[in-house]
Amino acid sequence: MSSSGAPSHKALSKIACKRLQKELVEWQMNPPTGFKHKVTDNLQRWIIEAIGAPGTLYANETYQLQVDFPEHYPMESPQVIFLPPAPLHPHIYSNGHICLDILYDSWSPAMTVSSICISILSMLSSSTEKQRPTDNDRYVKNCKNGRSPKETRWWFHDDKV
Amino acid sequence: MEESIGRARCEELAKSSSSFYRKVYSEIEEVGWESLRRLGGDLTFFSFHILDKKGRAHILELQLDRDYPKSPPSLSADVPCMFTLEWSTISRLKDVMHQFRKHLDSLQEFWSVLDDIDKSLCVVDAKQPSRASPIRRIRAGKDCNIIARINFDDPKSLPECRFIGPEPVAVNYLYMIWRRNSRKWSKEKSFPENLECVLGTELPKPLGLQVEDDHQQVECGICYAQFLPTDEELGARSGTRTDYSCENISCNKSFHSLCLTDWLRSITTTRQSFDVLFGNCPYCSDPVAVKINMNKID
Repeated sequence: MSSSGAPSHKALSKIACKRLQKELVEWQMNPPTGFKHKVTDNLQRWIIEAIGAPGTLYANETYQLQVDFPEHYPMESPQVIFLPPAPLHPHIYSNGHICLDILYDSWSPAMTVSSICISILSMLSSSTEKQRPTDNDRYVKNCKNGRSPKETRWWFHDDKV
Repeated sequence: MEESIGRARCEELAKSSSSFYRKVYSEIEEVGWESLRRLGGDLTFFSFHILDKKGRAHILELQLDRDYPKSPPSLSADVPCMFTLEWSTISRLKDVMHQFRKHLDSLQEFWSVLDDIDKSLCVVDAKQPSRASPIRRIRAGKDCNIIARINFDDPKSLPECRFIGPEPVAVNYLYMIWRRNSRKWSKEKSFPENLECVLGTELPKPLGLQVEDDHQQVECGICYAQFLPTDEELGARSGTRTDYSCENISCNKSFHSLCLTDWLRSITTTRQSFDVLFGNCPYCSDPVAVKINMNKID
């Protein structure tokens, strides 16, 4: 059992480390619009500030994404969650877990932290109502003890938001 | 394997009482299971794989409404413009495919022009540009790039070009020549020939070719490094270069076969036959086949 918010990851492999260093450089030169990443010396966990896009329900709101990389990144997807308070969205649970296929089954090493961020922002931007998923309470209750969203067997409802 | 899972799931749903599922099942069957790529859990979302006349792979994504076929499917694909779907209540998915194929036919010249550019000019777009994009950034020397927009409805006509670069003098000079000579643009000539003729200069060759000349190497699309790290576990493969590239010419992404096998082994859709893994390129999704190196220390 891992403690809340601290997945019991092993240290990054050499390959993961090198790839992340390159992603970080690329991010610093060309950060995705609406995101700020305060670089720390922890390569394995990025805390990224996400700012709701203008003209959307989340305009001017700021949220924090926590991105944790597994030992064998990019063969496995990173774990991406919103730190509390998570935005109100039909695909975002109150514990910060995000129902988005590219974070789980549809991950591919062709994706990057930056492309994930863009997908998450577009998911927020296309939302038409601020509300939790209908199964929020049940899901969050089942996720006690800081279970990773990557252990959930996700069922992707739709591509609309 | 992906196909058979998709099919099995469809079959199961089709057995249920819903006429929607039965209808969609039979219509997918008409198109052919081998074309099916992704399938959403409730059959309202899926995609078909289709090769155009020149063998370029395309994916058509379809989304069905619950009242399908009353309302037509919504479509998306890697094309610069979508066609208007002709739809009536008796239309079926195979009609969609038929119309999409005709649309692809109409775009052949557009893609030929783009392929020509990618093949003979130095294109600096960061990633593999999508087939939907009519834009190419082309290097025109040390101090200038050209951003060309190809007219997809008349691909051989004079493209709209912008010139950018750090040196205003060099950029303005080239732009001036472009404006003065653009009437020399001829539909008889290829795009690269036209561009060189209008600008009156030889343009840099594609990076790929230069790379070969320089004996440089390209980075792996998975680990982002040219060379694998030096590591005991990797044995003789320590420090080796990328040794595999995607066969889809317009993708041509390079990989270490080790990285690619590691990735293919980590997903469930990969098949293995003897010592060859069959899966899809993580970038363009075209089929790839990689030989597994059985003994890592050789």
